[in-house]
Amino acid sequence: MSDVVETIGVSKWYGEVLGLNTFTASFGPGITGLVGPNGAGKSTLFKLLIGQLRADQGALTMLGENPWNNVPLKRRLGYCPEHNQLYGWLTGQQFVETLLRLDGMPTTQAARSAKDALEIVGLSNVRHRPTRTYSRGMRQRAKLAQALAHDPEILILDEPLSGADPLARVHILRTITEFARNGGHVLMSTHVLYEIERITNNIVLIHNGKAIATGDIHAIRALIDEHPHAVRLVTPRPRDLAQALAGMEHIVSFEFPALDTLLVRTRKPDSFYKELPKIVVDHGLEVHGLESPDDSLEAVFRYLVG
Amino acid sequence: MPLLDRRQRIRAIVTTGLRREFKRPAAIIAIGVGTAVTSLTAIVTVLIASLAPGGPPLGLSFFYSAASNPVILFFVTLMASVVGSGLIADDIDSMALTLYLSRPISQADYLIAKAAILVPLVSMVAVLPLVLTPFLAAILGFFPWDIGLEAMGVGFLVGLLLTMFYASISLFLSSITRRKSYAAAGVFAVTFGLTIPAGILWDVTQNSALLLLSPWEDYQAVARAAFGASAGPIDWPAALVILLGSTILAAFITYMRMKAIEVVSG
Repeated sequence: MSDVVETIGVSKWYGEVLGLNTFTASFGPGITGLVGPNGAGKSTLFKLLIGQLRADQGALTMLGENPWNNVPLKRRLGYCPEHNQLYGWLTGQQFVETLLRLDGMPTTQAARSAKDALEIVGLSNVRHRPTRTYSRGMRQRAKLAQALAHDPEILILDEPLSGADPLARVHILRTITEFARNGGHVLMSTHVLYEIERITNNIVLIHNGKAIATGDIHAIRALIDEHPHAVRLVTPRPRDLAQALAGMEHIVSFEFPALDTLLVRTRKPDSFYKELPKIVVDHGLEVHGLESPDDSLEAVFRYLVG
Repeated sequence: MPLLDRRQRIRAIVTTGLRREFKRPAAIIAIGVGTAVTSLTAIVTVLIASLAPGGPPLGLSFFYSAASNPVILFFVTLMASVVGSGLIADDIDSMALTLYLSRPISQADYLIAKAAILVPLVSMVAVLPLVLTPFLAAILGFFPWDIGLEAMGVGFLVGLLLTMFYASISLFLSSITRRKSYAAAGVFAVTFGLTIPAGILWDVTQNSALLLLSPWEDYQAVARAAFGASAGPIDWPAALVILLGSTILAAFITYMRMKAIEVVSG
């Protein structure tokens, strides 16, 4: 079988709630993006793929094997969950090292590999700080480091860019691209199509637990461009940032939902994401977090599924 | 470089878990105060009894007084609550379990590691006083070494039985909730919710079989028999079966639950 992941009619119920609904899709080699709004079933699919959930119906294989309770398979994959706390008192180095020790890596090798992985994601200078002092973007990078430190064949990344600041995004996307260039496979979920578009054309759209479209990212983009795209920015000076961004022609609206938050709606997310870092630097502003609420994507999905 | 075996991977969880406990003030206090108080009271009890005229004979049975120290019951329960109740529940709640189980370890490995964290800590209050007391008594010359060594061996086994019971019960309770406070309350309920009513009902009905409901009474019945002390109200074989049976059953259910657990959160 050439596909890295294959799912045929997979369903998963949480009591009476349907997490996945006869989900059928194949993910080939390289980077594949799983795009869908919150609650679409992305995390459920990933939990099934790493063997932490058992499918109620259907069949799925990863790297040719059934993942449920498949301990040897776990050595071949790296998983980065969206939410987690191992123990906040662990330093970045200890966090990665501890998880590498669970892979069976000897102490000295684990220490070396942890150091290397943290360097790859740009956390070398803070690797001896407790992870509870990390920003959300730094924590995302630390989780990415633990996922790739043991040199897995496949990376499964659940919303790795969620809440990450612009610098962290650059590091994370660069790391993922490099991993794939060296022959690794990546499955990455997001509810922001523009993030994944930078690194792959292979996408699977998921909504209400079903795969509703595969591939052709350009057609999907055209649909999304018809809907204003929302971006939430965490900054100590939201009004100054709004003023700096006001010159962008594609901005539709600004909102200030909290004292440190600016919500921007744009018709050209591409241009927005491209121009934002420069504007922030030129105006001496700070952006501590950036995320896209999924209402714009939700609108597209509603359109797609009629 | 070859990868290390399963034992080493389990050890990695144990090391991290122990480091975590020794960073938690509540655990440090419970361990420190529990160890000091249980050991001191056991030693003082034995030494006073050995010096008192007309006290029990200076034989193995003498050390039953250390094993029956009610302070042990309190601190074993406290330790199991403070440490044991959070071992699995916290990992489920914080989703650390997701990260653990994304690594090549099985649920059984995880459970063994958690037991390996809890057992040594509980044994600090359940085993250590029973071993330390005859050791000191022998060193100070109150008892001949042969009796001291025998008492240490018996104390170790009896203390281990209590340790395993509480470790098993608290891990079971910890595995069925994501709130450690619920598991902690469950540990106290198992101890005092059974011991106190069993005592009251026995007083009222004089039916000693009711005392078998109490893990503390069961433990004391076994300890009495092991140390050769005079018989109590309940038979030790039945008490031993109940304690061992509960321990094995709770461990088995926890194992089956962990084996089938689906990590839903996150």
